[in-house]
Amino acid sequence: MALTLVSAATLASAQTPGYTNFIRQIQTSTGVQCDVTVAARGVQGAILPVGSEGSRFELWTITNPPLVSYLLDTKYVGAFIPVAVVTIHSEDPYGPVLRTRADRPFSVDISVSGLHNALKDPAPTKYVNVLRYVQSYGTNGTGVNLDYSHATLLTQASITQDGSQTLSYALTSIPGANLSKVCGEERFSVFSLAERQTSVAQIASSSIQIWPVADGALAGLSQGQLIRLAMPQVTVTLNDLYPSSTTYVQVYHGNPQLGVTGKTVPGSILVLNETVPQCRVLTLKGYDAVLDSEGLWTMELLTLTPFGIDRLAYVSFNLNRMIKINSNLTTIE
Amino acid sequence: MPKQHRASKVVWQSFAWPLAVQFALSAGIAAATPPMMKDAATHEQLALQLRKCQQEDPMDRLPHSRAEPPPKQAQDLLSQSDVLCFGGIATLVPKHAVLLLPKSMANRSKFTTGSTLMSWAEFYAKNRGWITTVEVTNEQAAGTQPLDAEVSHRLKDSIQVVVATYHGGPISVLSPKASAPAPSDPTEPSPSKH
Repeated sequence: MALTLVSAATLASAQTPGYTNFIRQIQTSTGVQCDVTVAARGVQGAILPVGSEGSRFELWTITNPPLVSYLLDTKYVGAFIPVAVVTIHSEDPYGPVLRTRADRPFSVDISVSGLHNALKDPAPTKYVNVLRYVQSYGTNGTGVNLDYSHATLLTQASITQDGSQTLSYALTSIPGANLSKVCGEERFSVFSLAERQTSVAQIASSSIQIWPVADGALAGLSQGQLIRLAMPQVTVTLNDLYPSSTTYVQVYHGNPQLGVTGKTVPGSILVLNETVPQCRVLTLKGYDAVLDSEGLWTMELLTLTPFGIDRLAYVSFNLNRMIKINSNLTTIE
Repeated sequence: MPKQHRASKVVWQSFAWPLAVQFALSAGIAAATPPMMKDAATHEQLALQLRKCQQEDPMDRLPHSRAEPPPKQAQDLLSQSDVLCFGGIATLVPKHAVLLLPKSMANRSKFTTGSTLMSWAEFYAKNRGWITTVEVTNEQAAGTQPLDAEVSHRLKDSIQVVVATYHGGPISVLSPKASAPAPSDPTEPSPSKH
């Protein structure tokens, strides 16, 4: 059988430093595995001939540290097997590993071609199965050393006609006691059917990481507190900050109100560019200068992510630094 | 991972609006208008949303499948690979591609924390002093034909790590089928067999 071509175009998005990419060819009939070294961009001929029952090509990327592998894409090449492409879309443009947050939508495009519909055609050529798996990383998990055999099959369906399908989800279905804190993966895979001479083959697959919604607290200031002198030290506790986010504390005059733009408290801006969520504790002190007048103030803890700005905590307080002196001046005349 | 991609920092400056827009731009987020602000989602809100979502599962639009789900495949390249690591650099090869691992080099089959991972081609180019390769055929890799006698002989005498390759790419060599003679007799077990 003629050599097939492995396109490395998909690798273009996988060139973030810190990731190492591998393409592995797996012979369906024998299980023999072979690695192909490819350039970041371009086309490379597969060095191993496609097997009698087809070959699966897997595009992997590995982070280091921590040493974790992610399956970015798979393609199955065989004589009688339809072709499928699974593409997941997220609001977060980060790559190569797709990710979103537990409260955010994502969509899945599934494109299938090469299906037959004549009665005499064998079943594996007439339809394919789409399977949706979910798997939790567990509390505070990051997906390191994940056992994929514990993934849960959520739903499955068939595709019987060539064309594209878009599956839109308002949020993840990874189970958890607190849905705002679930983290894990959703995987969508397309499989061919088994028949006498051929086994089930994964034609295409793609996954997306789901990270929890952040939470935080402001300690050191109580609701309605009257501040007469210097502003107290405030401890900012931050949990599950989105890997790509900017978190800061702002103050503004008046009662709490969403959408108000205030003054950023010095020392409160935390910029993250990570691969997994982060927890931090910040201490704010000596920020009196941003509170430039007396009256009711609100302090807000905000986090900016690819999904917008989330308010994590807020507290209002009264500032009255005026010193009123009552005096009386008299003379003896 | 390089610092610039795993960096986080606290900024000791005070900013007024458009701080959010500035950071949105620096994070590559489209920010022609200030990002929408809302309170962080709660479990109760998401539970309600999920119930609605599950009632309108988009996969319900597709024909129902009664096919037996295929066995779950390992989605982990590391568990399907052997590591070669030395001098602060490392690579992966398919399991059963290492035909011989001398005892004196057993520690080079373990990933050392802090090592830089690279492709096989890069790694081999830098470690030819202690790694040698054996080109095998498709049939030999599948275990339907034995390795050449000359190769088996080399495996007995080699003091280097021996990796099976097919046109330069590392390839797994399966155990020979019952009818075929033993393909090789590595003097010491390869890491895949542990």
